[in-house]
Amino acid sequence: MIFKVAWRNIWRNPARSLVVIASVAAGLYAGMLLIAIFNGFVVQEIDSAVHTQLAHIQIHAPAFSEDKDIKIVLPNGTELEEKLKNIPGITGVSGRIITTGMISSATAAAGMEIHGIDARDEQRVSKVSEMMLQGSYFKTPRPNSVVLGSTLAEKLGVKMNSKIVLTFQSATGDLTAGSFRISGIFKTTNSMFDQSTVFVQKADLATITGTLNNLHEIAILCADIKQVDATTSDLKKQYPALKVESWKEISPEMAMVTSIFDQMMYIIIGIILLALMFGIINTMLMAVLERQREFGILMAIGMNKPRIFMMILWETVILTMAGIPVGIGATLASLAYLSKAGLDLTQFSKSLSQYGIGNIIYPVLQPAVFLPITIFTAITAILSALYPAWKALRFKPAVAIHKI
Amino acid sequence: MNEVIKITDVSKIYNPEAIPVKAVDGVTLTVEAGEFTALVGPSGSGKTTLLNLIGGLDHPTSGTVEIAGTNITTMRENALIDFRLRHIGFVFQAYNLVPVLSAQENVELVMLLQGKSAKERSDRAKELLASVGLPDKLDKRPSELSGGQQQRVAVARALASKPGFILADEPTANLDSVSTSNLLDIMTRLNKENNMTFIFSTHDQRVIDKARRVIKLVDGKIESDSRQ
Ligand SMILES: Nc1ncnc2c1ncn2[C@@H]1O[C@H](COP(=O)(O)OP(=O)(O)OP(=O)(O)O)[C@@H](O)[C@H]1O
Ligand SMILES: [Mg+2]
Repeated sequence: MIFKVAWRNIWRNPARSLVVIASVAAGLYAGMLLIAIFNGFVVQEIDSAVHTQLAHIQIHAPAFSEDKDIKIVLPNGTELEEKLKNIPGITGVSGRIITTGMISSATAAAGMEIHGIDARDEQRVSKVSEMMLQGSYFKTPRPNSVVLGSTLAEKLGVKMNSKIVLTFQSATGDLTAGSFRISGIFKTTNSMFDQSTVFVQKADLATITGTLNNLHEIAILCADIKQVDATTSDLKKQYPALKVESWKEISPEMAMVTSIFDQMMYIIIGIILLALMFGIINTMLMAVLERQREFGILMAIGMNKPRIFMMILWETVILTMAGIPVGIGATLASLAYLSKAGLDLTQFSKSLSQYGIGNIIYPVLQPAVFLPITIFTAITAILSALYPAWKALRFKPAVAIHKI
Repeated sequence: MNEVIKITDVSKIYNPEAIPVKAVDGVTLTVEAGEFTALVGPSGSGKTTLLNLIGGLDHPTSGTVEIAGTNITTMRENALIDFRLRHIGFVFQAYNLVPVLSAQENVELVMLLQGKSAKERSDRAKELLASVGLPDKLDKRPSELSGGQQQRVAVARALASKPGFILADEPTANLDSVSTSNLLDIMTRLNKENNMTFIFSTHDQRVIDKARRVIKLVDGKIESDSRQ
């Protein structure tokens, strides 16, 4: 009957009960959606960095990374490349010739990292080929063609089929130059990358630099990002003389995004739950104070404090239990839509893409998040009922009975 | 002789620090089983305060309160709640009932608190509501009942726990004269037929006339105590 009283009390003031249900639902919804957006953002950002710049794993000769000296090649690089292709769990291997140099058009010039790649191998590691605005990613390979980013093309004042000159150091230390024709223009979500990297075919670059059959970098993509750590440590053991690095090691700041995200998530959820807490305390306190006389009479006729306490707690629990499915339902509905349509941040995109953030975020929520968030919300709601319930226990029946 | 209530030299002072109000001042009183007692006196004379002390709803500043042979003067809050549940029935001036429960559920509530079985609760609640003339109002919520009917449900509820006596603070103050005499008839009958002890405060002369003992309080002191 304690439960019955609690249940019926909920219907006594439906508007107030709705407020509690709505706050629980809104708290849950806001919390989950924010997590999904943040999570979607992080997943996309890592994905974008992995599929343009980083790959999952990179292998270099130990001294190469420091000043990208063209002379520091991977010993037996091409053989290594072939071996890696046969390791299970590795889905893409691309051997790259890398050199730094200058790109010049008729009107402008810029410093540059030049990647000599094999288009077929590179496409298994990088998604740049899927981000072409014009032309293609070496689909119809003509000798001395170059693929570059749209922002760089604008800066240089060049278009498709324009001629540009690449100047760089050869393997012997001399300055050499080659004339290239633009065969493709890409645009990734990372404008820094777009401005600083150009692609040419490995054979073309090798001919000019004299690094035939040599590689500076082998980029590896695993079947699943979760395998990366294990695969990296395997390769490290297998090739102790080489520098094997996972994307987290190459770009610690990218790895940090994840932990910053986690912290922000906790703070945001904390704020949401705190707001929820005050909302419920306030509403339930009103409900309790309004019924002061009733509690006074119940205590007078012999209802003990644990029972009164439970009555108020039940009321909150029922309201919370009603709010939770509403919140989860709303979250799922919104996610079903947003995970396909994406959250369009185009209006902020100019500033965002400078940081490598895409225009459209596709919120994703790991199923593992549902339960803890739901439990946290439920606990918060029930904790919030403790103060009003405690307040009710403090009523003195002789006084409360005379309250209207 | 069977004393259900025995209070000795009881005083209650409100606001002992600021402006002390001596609401009950050295009252000594015994009530025996089967008595039908009216507590009268001008407004502010201490009737409510005295009933609260007898009912264990408040602690006296000094003196002792013994109910059914148990000294409840220094009993702790939780123990008092339990004591009230088992020994004392209450009827208050108005809005006695839990608004979200039906008449029958309101009567059953005390028995539930006492741990009685569902069958016993239901049977007794129906019987009691019939005895206060409301056999057809079992499922009605308080808001669907008149003030007089609500007070009768309250009496039924007070009886439900099989208390040693029933305390009623101005039970008829909010009722019209028909409802008043109705309620009083029920109380009188319960007193006569079941030997139920009642102590009620009132300002209403017609109610006082029905009492067999009248205690008059003035300024927290018993001015007169007469049987009629
Ligand atoms: N909680 C309280 N705090 C302070 N003073 C109080 C309190 N309750 C009652 N009093 C005072 O104690 C005195 C007795 O009050 P009480 O309510 O017992 O009188 P009463 O006889 O029941 O009056 P009425 O006929 O108006 O109901 C009054 O002077 C009243 O103002
Ligand atoms: Mg009074």
